[in-house]
Amino acid sequence: MFRKVLIANRGEIAIRVMRTLREMEIVTVAVFSDADRASLHVRMADEAAWVGPSPSAESYLRIDRILEAARKHGADAIHPGYGFLSENADFAAACEEAGIVFIGPSAESIRRMGSKTAARQMAMAAGAPVVPGALETLASVDEARSFGARYGYPLLLKAVAGGGGKGMRRVDSDAALESAFRDAASEAERSFKNADLYVEKLIERPRHIEIQILGDRHGHMVHFGERECSIQRRHQKVMEECPSPLVAERAGMRERMGEAAMRVARSAGYYNAGTVEFLVDGSGDFYFLEMNTRLQVEHPITELVTGQDLVRLQMEVAAGAKLSLRQEEIAWRGWAIESRIYAEDPYNNFFPSPGKITRLTRPTGPGVRLDGCVYEGWNVPIDYDPLLAKLAVWNDTRERAIARMMRSLREYDVGGIRTNIAFFRQILEDEEFRRGRLHTGFVDEFLARCKPLQPPPELAAIAELVAAHHAKESTSRNGSIPAAPAAPSRWREIGRGEMLR
Amino acid sequence: MTAPQVEQVEPGVYSVLVEGRSYEARVEQVEGGVAVFVDGHRFEIEVHDPRRWRRQTGGREIAGRLNVVAPMPGKIVRLLVAAGDTVAAGQGLLVVEAMKMQNEVKAPKAGRVVSMTGREGATAAAGDVLAIIE
Repeated sequence: MFRKVLIANRGEIAIRVMRTLREMEIVTVAVFSDADRASLHVRMADEAAWVGPSPSAESYLRIDRILEAARKHGADAIHPGYGFLSENADFAAACEEAGIVFIGPSAESIRRMGSKTAARQMAMAAGAPVVPGALETLASVDEARSFGARYGYPLLLKAVAGGGGKGMRRVDSDAALESAFRDAASEAERSFKNADLYVEKLIERPRHIEIQILGDRHGHMVHFGERECSIQRRHQKVMEECPSPLVAERAGMRERMGEAAMRVARSAGYYNAGTVEFLVDGSGDFYFLEMNTRLQVEHPITELVTGQDLVRLQMEVAAGAKLSLRQEEIAWRGWAIESRIYAEDPYNNFFPSPGKITRLTRPTGPGVRLDGCVYEGWNVPIDYDPLLAKLAVWNDTRERAIARMMRSLREYDVGGIRTNIAFFRQILEDEEFRRGRLHTGFVDEFLARCKPLQPPPELAAIAELVAAHHAKESTSRNGSIPAAPAAPSRWREIGRGEMLR
Repeated sequence: MTAPQVEQVEPGVYSVLVEGRSYEARVEQVEGGVAVFVDGHRFEIEVHDPRRWRRQTGGREIAGRLNVVAPMPGKIVRLLVAAGDTVAAGQGLLVVEAMKMQNEVKAPKAGRVVSMTGREGATAAAGDVLAIIE
């Protein structure tokens, strides 16, 4: 086993990895930028190395500086976490060249999965279902018509050179095809100077369900079941659960998805931890989307339900050990949900809210797991992703896991900055959510339909009472006079109960 | 009806007992008042306590001088007055930016600016002295 491991990351994931390393009695090396000198991952590590100024391009993304730090500190291996260099094939290759183990798949596997179209072709070759579509450019509208006849409507016309929804048209019937084709092609021409289109079957209200896999370097691989990640905002996951409400009620679906995921991974010669993402339609049919060649943000819910430590397994297989775990030994018990707590203001367009944490009360108690990087007095830097913590809960049923998440969110207090804690409470109360009717458009629809929540009047009265009390306390205690408007006014409640929208 | 019992249990955290019910409220300073959080709901309350202004002209001043402190952490973007200037009560002294919002810090009383301790571009922590007025 490794003696010393450098974690090429920051924030909560660096801390998550360090926790397992410490349990394994492996020495931990943190890296940090200027903005992170006082960050918790640096405070927790056994050793720490400065790798550059605050912008990540000058620090956490600098392969040369990370490797230099690893050499200087004598690290045997590097754990990349997620984001930053974790899916950078050049970094994985550079580690191996430097004689330092990269805790992840081979550079070759990362490269193969890095291109969406190549990954999709590989998945098809491996016999995994992909969204029906022709990757080749459509020669004419007739080709699109015969595709529609074969796979049915609705379908999606997309610009080959496209992105951001430009040159994209939904087509609901054969009759609408011709004009949609014309519009999409001319829009693609205007936007990308390339009118080429391709066609794909449109999956309506798809779920995003992914399979966790892990393999060793000796050809043995297992899957850890699925995570449902359909609660997303702007294609970013915000809340995940394990198992998926859909998969849980369909006999054999987990096994079928697990097998498909492993077929794709094996065809890329994959080892270490990875996640295969699928789109799932209303009838339970699933289609390969892409593979993430790293530990996922939301891995804790899989750990809660399977009782496995994925980081420990990553270490073991990276050190060359055979994976001793057999597929039949992996069992799923109960239900886990994770909320990603961000420094952002859900009532002001989810605007980032960096700043100093002035108060902090963490949820604790039965079935609560918190992977965070915050402490009272810490300044949330403006330079990085505003993820403060991942709050994950476990309970024996979905309904009870929801109640436990609700209870934990009510215990959670972060002062000085805005967070999205209250937003999760609103989602958890939503009837559609409670029924498990999830899809990737859920949050957008929820934001459109959710009604302003009126704070109970008695809470407003409590707030006024406390404000009055607080004013007395601060003037009698404090020699300095707080800067405040001099215009006299009586107590007035401005009345922004902020759980309302 | 019994009177509510309000107890500061931690700095800025209050436990309130009203007719057998228990509430917890947390207070943050914001421009012009306070924000009070009760069970995840946020209430902004404009603060003016007559006692407070009385105190300012009372014994709290040291040799007639008064420290103006930052109500919240932020960046000093602009100084509006200079040392030696005479200011009226309520006049803006400097502008502090916090969380992308600009807030004017005002003179709590009329007088002469003894010194402006804040510098443009500097960051201020809550409670830092920004100006001294006498």
